[in-house]
Amino acid sequence: MKTKFLLLFVVLLLAAYPIVMGKSSPYSVAIMIVLGVYVILAVSLDVLVGFAGQISLGHAAFFAIGAYTSGIFTAKYDLPPILALLIGQAFSGSLAWLIGVSVLALRGYYLAMATLGLSAIVYSLIVGFQSVTGGASGLRDIPPFSLFGFSFDEYVYYYYVVWAVVCLVVGSSLLLVKSSFGRTLTAIHGDETAAGTLGIYCDKIKTSVFVFASMFAALAGSLYAHYTSFLAPDDFGIFTSIHILIMVFLGGIGTIYGPALGAIFLKLLPEFTHSFRDYELLVNGLILITVLVFTQKGLWGMFLAMRKRFMEAFRSSGVRKREEEMDEEPVI
Amino acid sequence: MDLSQIIQFTFSGLTLGSIYALMAVSLTIVYNASKVISFSQGEFFVFGALMMVTLTSIGVAIPIALVLSLVMAAALGALIERMLIKPILGSSVGTIVTMTIAISLALRGSALLTWGRSSFVSQPFSQGEPLRILGASLQLQVLWICGATGAVLLLIWLLFERTKVGLAMRACSDNSLGASLVGISVRRVNFFAWIFGSSMGALAGILVAPLYFVQYASGVMPMLSGFVAMAIGGMTSTLGAVIAGMVLGFLEAYGIGFISSQFADVIIFTVLIVTLLVRTRLLAGEASSDEGGM
Amino acid sequence: MKKTLLVLLFLASILLFSLSPITPAYSADKVVKIGGVYPLTGYLSWLGEYYKKAAILQVDLINKAGGVADYKLELVSYDDQSSPEEGTRAALRLIQSDKVVAITGTATAAITGAVSSIANKYKVPAVMSSGYDLRPDKEPFTFNTAHPTFFAVARPFMYLKKQGISKVGLLMPIGSLGEIGTANAQKAASQYGLTIVAEEKFDIKSPDVTAQLAKLRASNPEAIFSFVTGEPAALVARNMQQLKLDIPLIVSHGNATPGFLKLTSGLTTVKLVVPSGEIMAPDSLSATDPNKAIIREFNKLHMERYQEPANYFSGLLSDAVLLVVQGIRISGSVDPEKIRDGIEKIKSFPAIGGVYNMSPTDHYGTRIEDMIVLTIKDGKWQLIQ
Repeated sequence: MKTKFLLLFVVLLLAAYPIVMGKSSPYSVAIMIVLGVYVILAVSLDVLVGFAGQISLGHAAFFAIGAYTSGIFTAKYDLPPILALLIGQAFSGSLAWLIGVSVLALRGYYLAMATLGLSAIVYSLIVGFQSVTGGASGLRDIPPFSLFGFSFDEYVYYYYVVWAVVCLVVGSSLLLVKSSFGRTLTAIHGDETAAGTLGIYCDKIKTSVFVFASMFAALAGSLYAHYTSFLAPDDFGIFTSIHILIMVFLGGIGTIYGPALGAIFLKLLPEFTHSFRDYELLVNGLILITVLVFTQKGLWGMFLAMRKRFMEAFRSSGVRKREEEMDEEPVI
Repeated sequence: MDLSQIIQFTFSGLTLGSIYALMAVSLTIVYNASKVISFSQGEFFVFGALMMVTLTSIGVAIPIALVLSLVMAAALGALIERMLIKPILGSSVGTIVTMTIAISLALRGSALLTWGRSSFVSQPFSQGEPLRILGASLQLQVLWICGATGAVLLLIWLLFERTKVGLAMRACSDNSLGASLVGISVRRVNFFAWIFGSSMGALAGILVAPLYFVQYASGVMPMLSGFVAMAIGGMTSTLGAVIAGMVLGFLEAYGIGFISSQFADVIIFTVLIVTLLVRTRLLAGEASSDEGGM
Repeated sequence: MKKTLLVLLFLASILLFSLSPITPAYSADKVVKIGGVYPLTGYLSWLGEYYKKAAILQVDLINKAGGVADYKLELVSYDDQSSPEEGTRAALRLIQSDKVVAITGTATAAITGAVSSIANKYKVPAVMSSGYDLRPDKEPFTFNTAHPTFFAVARPFMYLKKQGISKVGLLMPIGSLGEIGTANAQKAASQYGLTIVAEEKFDIKSPDVTAQLAKLRASNPEAIFSFVTGEPAALVARNMQQLKLDIPLIVSHGNATPGFLKLTSGLTTVKLVVPSGEIMAPDSLSATDPNKAIIREFNKLHMERYQEPANYFSGLLSDAVLLVVQGIRISGSVDPEKIRDGIEKIKSFPAIGGVYNMSPTDHYGTRIEDMIVLTIKDGKWQLIQ
């Protein structure tokens, strides 16, 4: 119950943000769009890694597929952005299904390696097929997103499109993991063999989650393309995949909210450390280390721990009953 | 296609392969003992190479500089293991991986501050003309690399088969719970593995640097190739890592030579994925299901 | 509990809302801000440093001479971390937060493309310095002080032709430079009557290109053209020496730096051919050269301040700043759109890279004769004809 209040407050905050900040600081609104894209990436990866237990270093590959499909079809073939986006969804979904049925037989580090390979292959293909993708020099002239004739050229308006999608993604991920399907995932995560004996079709389920996560990543890509109007393969390689995985772990794997926080944290960090110039790389590493050493459950764990401590402080003011309610509430 | 070209491809393969093999071995050692894939190995590569460059530029003789660099790399590895890895050893694989990534960022940042942005040229171990056979040429440094890889393999074999420490490491690798039950200090084994692994990574950097150029960010690509080789070679076998590294190097050279240079990456990673799939399915019938090295 | 949670959230919101302070473009002291997006970290960091130093120097020189109109210049620069995504972010920050009137900088077509997209969207002139292919009709706000890539390829081909060489082999990197290099090489070859006998590609991260060179050698080239910069270029040269391929090696115009001299210090048999700007040979310029005085002056001041001579990249950024200032002078305004119009009207403006003549169809402004060709002798740059 309490979490619902929190969520409502956050959604209201998000809705108010561009209205309040739009005129005085349009830059922050623009940055929020990037944050939104990466929240989608991190949350979708969390469903795959945190709940289904399938470690993937290939998420950027689907990010790329969505981005480039949207980019190519709108820049070169003048298709309406929504149509290009749907094509991207169909393409990424089918590809994810094909890859899922073959590669998800792997586990652990093997799966990590294979998905790393996927990132590298997609990157190479983007660079290699220069006439279609613009190659390493990039894809230019991508128009802004438009729907029913309204062009979301201004970031202040596009913000709402992006964050509406973010809410959609977070919402559906939460629904998924809280449902009975979600419990099935946890069973598979725990022990696949045991789950199999309970009659769970592990392969089919793993593949569906992979498709689910990958299609969301592609969705993030489509949104990203219309934001930057320009795509370069450098932003979609192995390091991007690793970056997203770090967001998931930093935020707290398997919590949905955690990776969202992790994405926001990692994407905002440069804003505060860029003044360190040469020291920036070192500082970023140290911050990451500190968070990992002191909070093994990631940022979300930190947040929950703080919440608990505050509750302890209020114990004396007679809100005991409400706390008991809190304690019974599951983490998500 | 004439003979000298084929020989040149072979030499190119030997050069690339020996680099990958050495990196793969250093990764495998650490993994073997602690089941941790260290994403910071690339930074030890850089550290070793840059340390060598600094020492030789102030006049230290190559063999002494080599030993000093290795010792410093080992010390650095020890420090990191004690302070950062030990505390989180119980956590999930993902947390540990993320930690090693964070460590690599911090190390790379320190390298940037210490040595700056420029690239450095490193002295080859022996001055001399490249080896020429039938029109193809091979740099002498590659022979040093192959020799060193061979020596390292021998050292590892001796270590694992003949010493108590090695035996302890193998026991931990097979079953850490069982090992601790018979009185083996798993923590000490981890510590030793890290020191050994870091010095291996630094050695790879020291040996390879004379072949091209090193700067603070040079460690990433060799490390990735090392990962691929390690995965193909079977995560725990050092011999497998070396063979896989060499195969990868030759594959790349011949792939470039006979197929095309454009999609070399695609070829290599496709081979990786296929190998992993084949290996998993082959083992599918065994009683102990392959947990992908976890 | 609800209370404290709300308090926490309130604090978090404050943090988020204080993300970017408001900074006006012109304060009471009449300052006009010029933006810079430079790769200060990442694989292009060696280049970003030269860019930033030159920009800072040129801005100081202009301010010492009284600024422009009644304004003093201020340089605001951000690191694009050698990444297009960060380039987008830096450009947005400069335009929306710092309210710069123009943007200078960056390297590689990919990052430049990202910056250019944003600049054109917000109608702020972007005077870039990279191998970015300009299309003034689609991106009217983008200019480029780097000599058009075609010039940087045709000029050394001109030199080869004079030496009686006609067969060229290409060793191109997988990536933007490679694609651009190949296309321009083919164009230059047909223009000057040379033949491309073979082409190979390589990964710039690779430590060995002997396989590719062996394949090229089979077609008997009389020179090799490899459109790479820095380490990969030195690697190609080194591997050529290893294979005893003692023919001229043309590399990109990005190699005219002290760093490259260091990288190629051990090489004796390979003849390197590096196209560049006149700034690299300040003492060999003819007395009638309109750029001579400016080049020598800038070089002297650069040496004084940074204890190293200016190089090709320093020249590019200095010119970018000069072009922006000239745009302000011609248009008589500090409004970005008017400045753009002003820049486009620049005619017969001598600077470091050449005498600039802009037009609605030419946003480079330089000519092929503005480039020179260098080789390396005894660890020093030498002008060759």
